[in-house]
Amino acid sequence: MIAKRKTKSRPRIGSGTAPILSFEGVVKRYGPLEALAGVSFQVHRGEVVCLIGPSGSGKSTLLRCANALETIDGGRVVLEGVEVHDRRTDARKLRRRMGMVFQNFELFPHLTVLRNVAVGPTTVLGMPQRQAAERATELLRKVGLADKAAHYPASLSGGQQQRVAIARALAMQPDVMLFDEPTSALDPETIGEVLSVMKRLADEGMTMVVVTHEMDFAKRVGNWIVVFDHGKVVEQGPPQQVFDEPTVQRTRDFLSHLGWHGESLAAADLLVQPSSTDP
Amino acid sequence: MDIDISPLIENWQFILTGLGFTLALSALSIALGAAIGLVGGVLRTYGGKLLDSAIGLYVDVVRSIPVLAILVWTYFAFPLVIGESLTPFSGGVLALGVHLGAYITETIRAGLTSIRPGQMRAALALGMSRFEAIRTIILPQALIRMLPPLGSLIVIAVKDSAIASVIAVPELLRQSQVLAGKTFRPFEIYTAAMLIYFLICYPTARTIDRVYRRLGVLGAS
Ligand SMILES: Nc1ncnc2c1ncn2[C@@H]1O[C@H](COP(=O)(O)OP(=O)(O)O)[C@@H](O)[C@H]1O
Ligand SMILES: [Mg+2]
Repeated sequence: MIAKRKTKSRPRIGSGTAPILSFEGVVKRYGPLEALAGVSFQVHRGEVVCLIGPSGSGKSTLLRCANALETIDGGRVVLEGVEVHDRRTDARKLRRRMGMVFQNFELFPHLTVLRNVAVGPTTVLGMPQRQAAERATELLRKVGLADKAAHYPASLSGGQQQRVAIARALAMQPDVMLFDEPTSALDPETIGEVLSVMKRLADEGMTMVVVTHEMDFAKRVGNWIVVFDHGKVVEQGPPQQVFDEPTVQRTRDFLSHLGWHGESLAAADLLVQPSSTDP
Repeated sequence: MDIDISPLIENWQFILTGLGFTLALSALSIALGAAIGLVGGVLRTYGGKLLDSAIGLYVDVVRSIPVLAILVWTYFAFPLVIGESLTPFSGGVLALGVHLGAYITETIRAGLTSIRPGQMRAALALGMSRFEAIRTIILPQALIRMLPPLGSLIVIAVKDSAIASVIAVPELLRQSQVLAGKTFRPFEIYTAAMLIYFLICYPTARTIDRVYRRLGVLGAS
């Protein structure tokens, strides 16, 4: 399953077909502040779209607009023909189709790891406890945490918590996964285990929108890079173009600010090995 | 001073009746207060401006009136409003429950607002309704966090049940008064009553404390 994405040129997947998720001139204001000033880009099925850009440029806001956790003040977000912010759209049904992973995990501290993963299916889909537990167990195995099922989140490391959070989102069998800086709150030694879970997910064909400062991940796993600045998309394109021949000065500034000079950073190795820290 | 506990031994059933009423009155007023507090706390936090002000008014009014005055008003004046008399016991449950409900409302509201907004966002992102999110995610954490103040309120409610003696609910203090008057043994009888209150309240407080020490970490998101 690793092989699928190994090709060097990574053509844009499904670019000839209709996008699964599209942002069309999305505007979001907080009082006088325009957090999103007309953002447009598209996500096709099976693609990994990485959103990069400086802090405060509106990346998190965009993800929250994607699954209607925020209202918008202009433009539209369309998920497979369904307008997300339309009055007649059932936001809850829509959110089931989009899994979300947060910077600080947001696991439910009063529930065991297993129940954290099972609570979506039981509460939202009315799935019987046993069936949900089976699905949760399977997903925990997938993220390498089956042995932590009975633990509470507080007893897990950051990387383990984030992997549980990914399993929790996957339990709803979403069509798209939204990641908001999933490794930014992690200790360096646990970043790799989360990134490798995400890479495996990408290899399996999951459609993903990933806000990240992990440029190696963006370059190796991403199919499409969208660069944000001050609530605008300043540049978008395939990773080779954005990272190696950025056309916009803003992109160059941002990348050099991160210490990116067209070559792989040391963190690249993190992606290669699946986590070996699990007991 | 000579001590004679025979009036206690001879009248143990009389005291036991009092204890039974104290427990029943406490349990029912706590149940009523908890129901009011749960609904009030949740609606005040998530129900919008209008409900917030309305419930805020209830809370402020109740907290500005002595519980004794609420009790007496409920038993003697409220029946005139509804055109139907109350038994001392049901008047006691109603008054103490409504009084306690105001404090529980505020405690639960404080707990709910202390849960960081990301938890609600995570629950909504799974596709939960706000109600489902509150019920399965936010409220349980809030209750765990608020266990110590809720425990204090429960113990206070048991102690406050003694106030119902003024409307002749035959609870522990009232029965003690009657017995002391009959037997002329106030020292033994009131001491026994105090001891019984202590034996109910102290273990209750300790138990809640112990439960919190075990569960507390689960409310820390
Ligand atoms: N709930 C909010 N209320 C007011 N301002 C907000 C809110 N959320 C985000 N902002 C502002 O919107 C801008 C974009 O924020 P954000 O989307 O979090 O940026 P990023 O995720 O790229 O760091 C920032 O200036 C931020 O302060
Ligand atoms: Mg952000």
